[in-house]
Amino acid sequence: MTTAHTIAEKISGALPLRRLLRDYGQIVILALGTIIFAALEPAFVSTENLIGILYQISLIGIMAVCSTFVVISGGIDLSVGPVVALAGLMAAFTLEATGLALAPALLAGIAIGAGVGLLNGLAVARFQLPPIVVTLAMMSIARGAALLVGGSVLHLIREPAAFLFIGSGRVVGLPIPIFIFVATAAIMWFIQTRTSFGLSVFAIGENAAAARLCGLALTRVRTLVYLISGAGAGIAGVILAAQVRTASANYGNGIELDVIAAIVLGGTSLKGGSGAIYRSVIGALLIGGMNNGLSILNVSTDLQLVAKGVIIVVAIALDNFLYRWSES
Amino acid sequence: MSDTMLLSAYGLSKHYGAHHALDGADLDLRAGEVHALVGSNGAGKSTLVKILTGAVGPDAGTLTLAGMPVPFGDPKAALDAGIACIYQEANLVPALSVLDNIVLGRHPTRRFGLLDRSAQRQAVRELLARHDLRLDLDAPVQTLPTVQQKEVEIAKALSLNARVILMDEPTAWLAHAEVEKLFHSIRQLRAQGVAVLYISHILDEIFAIADRVTVIRDGKVRLMAPIAATSKAALVEAMLGRELAVEVGTAHRQMPQSAAGAVALECHGLSKAGLFQDMALQVHQGEIVCITGLVGAKRSEFVRALFGAEPADQGEILIHGRRVSLREPAAAIRHGIGFVPEDRRRDGLFMGLPIGANLVLAYLPLVTRAGLLVRRLTRALGRRQVEDLGIVPARLDLPARALSGGNQQKVLLGRWLAGGARILILDEPTVGVDVGAKADIYQLLRRLASAGAAILIVSSDMEEVLAIADRVIVMAQGRVSRTFTGHEVTQGAILSAASGEVAQ
Repeated sequence: MTTAHTIAEKISGALPLRRLLRDYGQIVILALGTIIFAALEPAFVSTENLIGILYQISLIGIMAVCSTFVVISGGIDLSVGPVVALAGLMAAFTLEATGLALAPALLAGIAIGAGVGLLNGLAVARFQLPPIVVTLAMMSIARGAALLVGGSVLHLIREPAAFLFIGSGRVVGLPIPIFIFVATAAIMWFIQTRTSFGLSVFAIGENAAAARLCGLALTRVRTLVYLISGAGAGIAGVILAAQVRTASANYGNGIELDVIAAIVLGGTSLKGGSGAIYRSVIGALLIGGMNNGLSILNVSTDLQLVAKGVIIVVAIALDNFLYRWSES
Repeated sequence: MSDTMLLSAYGLSKHYGAHHALDGADLDLRAGEVHALVGSNGAGKSTLVKILTGAVGPDAGTLTLAGMPVPFGDPKAALDAGIACIYQEANLVPALSVLDNIVLGRHPTRRFGLLDRSAQRQAVRELLARHDLRLDLDAPVQTLPTVQQKEVEIAKALSLNARVILMDEPTAWLAHAEVEKLFHSIRQLRAQGVAVLYISHILDEIFAIADRVTVIRDGKVRLMAPIAATSKAALVEAMLGRELAVEVGTAHRQMPQSAAGAVALECHGLSKAGLFQDMALQVHQGEIVCITGLVGAKRSEFVRALFGAEPADQGEILIHGRRVSLREPAAAIRHGIGFVPEDRRRDGLFMGLPIGANLVLAYLPLVTRAGLLVRRLTRALGRRQVEDLGIVPARLDLPARALSGGNQQKVLLGRWLAGGARILILDEPTVGVDVGAKADIYQLLRRLASAGAAILIVSSDMEEVLAIADRVIVMAQGRVSRTFTGHEVTQGAILSAASGEVAQ
């Protein structure tokens, strides 16, 4: 295939190094960041700290991989923050109502997330409303609903042990949320690369008019991507409740920005039609590594917020630059 | 035409990697001439245009305008020197008025940055009068017919004091009557001493409008001659090289009256408010039917209704004699219909997705088992289409945007052939496709028809209609104006039906 590759290079006009940097720039940035933090503070790369980073990003990671299809399909989901709160409350209330039955509580938490996602999906897909408006409105509705059912108080969750184990238990030395994150990412990656649904998501994001003329089920696919995103936030909400042993209507405030930042930092385009699940995993690692590194270096929280914003803009600008450079 | 050399480009070369897009090409334009530039897709035309407009800088060569050197790679310098370009796709702001589009970015202002509207209006009026262009200055550009949009672009170029105007496929989206109007404008430009570089695939147009012609192939100039001293055959030969030229010739002559089989696609009384009324049509197996007519005859709207893309309000559609309801493209696809839309970039291709994905997306169930894509099947299906249709480069993993226009069109056809569609509807299948790929597509369509496919083509290209249609339906104002079969199919008859009276 040597000749074929030469033709490909001629067509894309890109040198191999440039294309590698374009396609895997985020990995380079991740590696560079790790080296810099490690040089400044060797404790950054200790096993315990690395596990800590994974534990810290597992919630954002789960939400990011579940929301990636929404972005690939050309949409956006801003409503995942309050869903985290709703799901935690649902799980807490179900535990109480069922006399501490585990499975119904988990299902209720995930189902409320999927339900919110379904409503988003129907509004976007069936009624053709703009995703940013729909999910922004849903952000307000879901937060309001959480406050209505949960009030402003913390709801303590003392048992069952099995539920708390989900949040803070360890297997082979690793916290359970990391396993859930890895499993969710693996399932989503499989769906992305191996199913006709995954391919349809790309097709719709790339060119919805053409997708319709190909007979693809636009409404169904679009509805499903929002449902998956909501369910992901539901899972994260249940884990969070188990981690902190409480449910509150105020949880998850502002987390949607970290989720979208993880997706975009990973290299999935907000324009739709391109991206990958593994990219969102890298994006979550970038965000988590950054938060952790800045904390370890004793950067104040206020300054961290500023630094985080600046780093995100710089990283995306760099990615853009690499892309144009590889095309020139 | 004067003999003063207005623009001279000498020895222009540009390479991308190992590929020589342009290889020592010369071009000269005289004041007051229409100079045609022809060549297949990938011959180097667009690279040449990009160098002249300053969009890219060449590796070697010189460019002078009226004896003064023009700096390379600087769009502003080219514009200031008086070189303007009118691109195939309109470069206007649709919602703004004609006036605003013409003066966009150079509004004369009074104090406090206020616009001097009356001075603007007066200047543009004078400009239009001088060049015999009649445009309503206050009409939003999006409400104008395509030909008038081209005139707005011409006016815009003139308002920049352009002395050289490059026109890239200016008639690609125009109907026959509109082409004549555009030619009138071009002749006005010539009379005013403007040099026009006219880039087109359509040889008839070149012989109608150009004074001289330059042919490039593989980045080199193969022919430069006064139009009177050359012939269509000579141009085609220069464009394609000798061997290919012979093939195209036979493709055009080949016009078998295939024995029509059973009726595959049929409709009666199909109407959609404000678009088309009472349309009836039959397409038989083994038959190629062309729908032609002027822009605005609502041909695309009609065939889109046949595919369920924008369903009709009333009337019935029958497939193989059975009445069907086509409210969605998915339904039409299940009934074995395939549709290649007019605008392949907007409605057809997934530009960023691999060619292989583009080929299987209309028939995912064929390559899916229990919701899972089977790579072996996907690859086999794609590979077969790439080989059958001669898609170049024959790579399933490259994005569709890497292909030339002709190959993109083959991918769109292949998408339907992959699932064995027996009824094909194609809307302007060869717009922006070079002569070589055009011949490939005609041969392919004929081969499909011989194998029993029913093919319905919407086309404004008269040469195309004459070359491939077994039957021609002429639409005017949303109705069937006339139908021609076999030897009745002549250019004159079709044109009078298209422009004229609706059959009573």
